[in-house]
Amino acid sequence: MPRTIILLDPAHGGPDSGARFSDQLLEKDLTLSFAAILRASLSTGGFTVIATRDTDPTVLFTADQRAEIANHAHPSACLVLHATSSGNGIHIVTSALTPPGEATGASDPDTPHAPAPWQDAQAAFIPQSLRLANEIGLALLRAKLPVILTQSSIHPLDNLICPAVAIEIAPLATDGSDPIPAADLTYQHTITQAIVIALTSWRTHNTTAAGASR
Amino acid sequence: MIPRYQRILFWSLLGGILLMAAFLLRGCEQAHKRLTASLDATPIAAPTTTSTEDISLYLANDADASITPTPQHLALPQEPSVRARALLQQLLSSYALPGSAHPLQSGPTVDDVFLLAQPGNPSTASAPGQLAVINLRGSFVNSHPSGIQVEDLTIQSIIGTLHGALPQITQIRFLVDGQPHDTLAGHADLLHTYRAVDTAIRPTPPEAENNPDNATATPKP
Repeated sequence: MPRTIILLDPAHGGPDSGARFSDQLLEKDLTLSFAAILRASLSTGGFTVIATRDTDPTVLFTADQRAEIANHAHPSACLVLHATSSGNGIHIVTSALTPPGEATGASDPDTPHAPAPWQDAQAAFIPQSLRLANEIGLALLRAKLPVILTQSSIHPLDNLICPAVAIEIAPLATDGSDPIPAADLTYQHTITQAIVIALTSWRTHNTTAAGASR
Repeated sequence: MIPRYQRILFWSLLGGILLMAAFLLRGCEQAHKRLTASLDATPIAAPTTTSTEDISLYLANDADASITPTPQHLALPQEPSVRARALLQQLLSSYALPGSAHPLQSGPTVDDVFLLAQPGNPSTASAPGQLAVINLRGSFVNSHPSGIQVEDLTIQSIIGTLHGALPQITQIRFLVDGQPHDTLAGHADLLHTYRAVDTAIRPTPPEAENNPDNATATPKP
């Protein structure tokens, strides 16, 4: 079986620190450490993993640069990793762009090599991204974690030419005690395991679909 | 016998004392009036009575990522751009109240709302309408919580509320302190032109059946 390439994008980095959880903990550091955990688990599961960054860059690492790295790698799936102190559970976000078939005046979706505008590059992959989001959401629900599926206009999600979702880790509300923070390692490991299960299922479905089409 | 010049001097001094006393009393009265006026919180002019109307505020909830139209009785100006600004200030200030489901910091939020006429475009089947340019305060953006969902909920809440109250608005753009700004607080795109649509939403959980169309929440603009 060919190895499936998964692209991880730990969001923010360098002068862009993202959300501030405390004086010592920034979103850019949390996403990087979570990406390292996820990368190890995915590699063990037989995936080839590429990351847009493995360290904290010294200069600004723009969303366009991240999208360029991702699009040149031609991955099977792109996971953009975020964290927040607002909300509850895991937020799985897909692009809010309209798929070409639904957009009025959009280019013909039957034209396979039609150039995609940079700002709307993700539009053609929306159906696959929604399926991927649903697959990851189901696996997280089975792991007894609250999941919210939403759509939003964020970069570099809108610029990716692969099935892409943003996974935002929010604190986990518990009955009668303080919420479990996004930085909790046990919480992160549970999320990681669910994502690996979801991507394994995603790979199986894609392989089956590809076989059936032949 | 008191000499005449001493009597004149006496009465002159007495007259001077009385004049100075009157001058001091007058000065004290004026100072008292000034101080009283500065402490008086009564409006200079009585407020004009404006009738209230039913307006739906599209209120966001961080816990379930929902946006719910909530009817409220508000007194709003009639001039459209002033009306839009007052409406957004009312919406965003409601998030600063204790117990808010989408807590934001209190303080000034919207500087201006500009409404620009937009001609229709036959190629994209877009009807003529108005472009609303919302100029947010830098202090509001700097204090906004950071996160994809929480930022998106604020934007969708603004869009839904404006669309409900001013249906002539078809597109919405954002500025921060009069300048284009890339994101609200690091995530949601503020350079994007948003379509003004009904943003009421209640996300549904993932579904096991192989129907991707059922797997997501109501599409957003």
